[in-house]
Amino acid sequence: MSDNILYSVRNLTVEYKTRGGAVRAVDDVSLDIRRGEILGLVGESGCGKSTFGKALLRLHDGPASIPTGELWFDGRDLMKLPIQEMPKIRGAELGMVFQDPMTSLNPVQSILDHLTETIQAHEPKVSNAAARARAEELVERLGIRHERIKEYPHQLSGGMRQRVMISLALALRAKLVIADEPTTSLDVIVEAKFLDLLKELQQEFGLTILLITHNIGVVAEICDRVAVMYAAKMAEVGSAEVVFGNPKHPYTQGLLNSVPNINLDAKELYKMGGEPPSLLHPPSGCRFHPRCPFAMDICTQEEPAFQSVAGEQLAACWLYQKKGDHQPSMKKEVSRG
Amino acid sequence: MANLKEKLPVTPPEGTTWEVELKQVGFVRKLLMARRWYGADWWFVAVSGVFVLIFIIVALVPGLFAPYSPDALVGPRFLAPGAYADLSVLIVPANSSVNELKDLAVPENGDRPTMAVVQGESTAGDLNTQAQNIDEQLKDQAGGLRLRPVFDRYTSLADALQAVVNGTDRAAVVQQKEFANIASKYPSLREASSLTGAKVAGGFIMGTNDIGQDVFSRLLWGTRIALIIGFTSSLLSLFLGVPLGLLAGFIGGMFDRLLSLVMDSLYAFPGLILAIAITAVLGPSMLNIIIAIAVLYIPTYYRIVRGQTLTVKEEVYVEAARSIGARRTEILARYIFPNVIPSVAIIFSVNVADAILTGAGLSFLGLGLPPTIADWGIDLARGQRFIQSAWWMITFPGLAILLVVLSFTLMGEGLTEIFNPKLRDR
Repeated sequence: MSDNILYSVRNLTVEYKTRGGAVRAVDDVSLDIRRGEILGLVGESGCGKSTFGKALLRLHDGPASIPTGELWFDGRDLMKLPIQEMPKIRGAELGMVFQDPMTSLNPVQSILDHLTETIQAHEPKVSNAAARARAEELVERLGIRHERIKEYPHQLSGGMRQRVMISLALALRAKLVIADEPTTSLDVIVEAKFLDLLKELQQEFGLTILLITHNIGVVAEICDRVAVMYAAKMAEVGSAEVVFGNPKHPYTQGLLNSVPNINLDAKELYKMGGEPPSLLHPPSGCRFHPRCPFAMDICTQEEPAFQSVAGEQLAACWLYQKKGDHQPSMKKEVSRG
Repeated sequence: MANLKEKLPVTPPEGTTWEVELKQVGFVRKLLMARRWYGADWWFVAVSGVFVLIFIIVALVPGLFAPYSPDALVGPRFLAPGAYADLSVLIVPANSSVNELKDLAVPENGDRPTMAVVQGESTAGDLNTQAQNIDEQLKDQAGGLRLRPVFDRYTSLADALQAVVNGTDRAAVVQQKEFANIASKYPSLREASSLTGAKVAGGFIMGTNDIGQDVFSRLLWGTRIALIIGFTSSLLSLFLGVPLGLLAGFIGGMFDRLLSLVMDSLYAFPGLILAIAITAVLGPSMLNIIIAIAVLYIPTYYRIVRGQTLTVKEEVYVEAARSIGARRTEILARYIFPNVIPSVAIIFSVNVADAILTGAGLSFLGLGLPPTIADWGIDLARGQRFIQSAWWMITFPGLAILLVVLSFTLMGEGLTEIFNPKLRDR
């Protein structure tokens, strides 16, 4: 099992210190990312998706901190590495693509500079010419003519910039690319092309991609597995087919029902009642209970365990478990290589 | 159908024609064509740029343009701009063979020539100086001739001239203008030559000051001092303020708070007063002025760079840089610094102008340079005492300061407008 898993997150908590107190944007979350898969991470805005993505690179700073958690990446716990070692891993093994391609490139550097800098930062011995050749090959592969490599970010379109961002992650053959809402600011046609490209790259380079998005359609289109987050907790994880075909967690069900469908007969779109809770004062028990149509007494009192409900489909819901009926937790189940 | 097509306005592919053109031309043409785009700002920058260039050239080689040395006493005192000096001329009998002062020289033991001068005129001084000069030269030559005139002082011009007519004196030294007025009354006399050099006869465009120095020459040499003070102190505060601002913005925390406190305290002082205090402690010298002014302007750079750094630090591309493994130093040098520096370049220009003004202010108060140096502030202070009698002494250095400050400021402001169009709407 350990060979199969590239990145194993265990009990990760990310805290933001605010004036109102510590806010846990990611609270005790465990997740496995398998080699070569595209894993979609979906959830409402503010549920901690992006924070989770950044924490995988230990990119948090300022008010954010990781009080507990293990980040097992390719056989080592990144949390145990000194933070000074992280730049060596970022870019080389873990890449990230940000939400807004308009602002995620340095306006005073050309595309070539971006790429050669990335390459030479990790492989100082590579000559300028060699780095350039690699950069040209790479952008050419991503569908940007190599003549344009000398251009600056403002001269490129949004889709091209996003491809440049991807190329930065690919420049050193990162094993895992965390794409944080990469298509949010792109129009649907560019988005579709970009998703096709992601899929192609995943197959061609054996890339593993964590796709953070709030767009269920995007997940359904390209993801192998789906993880659903709600209020800093993991609600449900499973293969895309199973989760979309047979969602277990009431939140996932509500989420899927909320997606507009052209074939929908209902006059009005399904709306989930209530609002996402404040993470400063999360509800007791299951965090979804104030909005849950199936809420029971126990839901308000105790937090459900995140465990298997059907094979590889995991969910945190009292509907599928009884008090004291906890399965062995994931933590013990997983052996690490 | 064809008719309708003709009526449709032809729209260029993107933007107006000149915008399209602007994208296709080279740097120089672009610079020239930009005036259509930037309008008044372009002209401000162009005109003030030319002025700045002129000032810089003059500051580099003032000797090429200045007719005299700034320290030389080249003319009479308080000569108004364009006015001609009263020349001292040698008056001799018409039949005399004497043409120059030198011709009056006699052998070592001969009778010393007696010469008539008018009491209370500068002519006696001129004669004395010139005669001594000639005597020195003659002493070195082998001829054994000496020129040591005996002065006969008369109360009026008429008396002096009469003495020459009578033969009491060999010659007279009088003011040219006054002699010209009454020359017709003395047909037996003629004007031989002027005692002082022909150059001085041309007058001075900006007049002379209280000790007979050329105001124009001092003005040109003063440009050098002004620009040295302006540039070096601005550069010094730039080299200190920019790194401090970068570090404070980037590191943040306690370091930032402490440094900002110090900088804000500096900023809170009225500028000139702080500079006065610093020079008063350090003593007047070029270096100390530069240090005082540099200290004054460090907070300007610090605050702007710190603010910009705080903004740029939060940009996604900085986070993206971290996500591809860039180190902190790399982020600072390659991501933050280049994005911060344009605003520094612009305030630099305005800052130079300000520094020149402060430097002149310090010199004006006597806290700047030693009074022997040709400096606008010193000339202003000097001219201020004679503002009623010799307006030119204070006016021209004042105008020079105005022009230099205006040029640098307009250039800086114009460049801001051009490079930072966001500011326009404000």
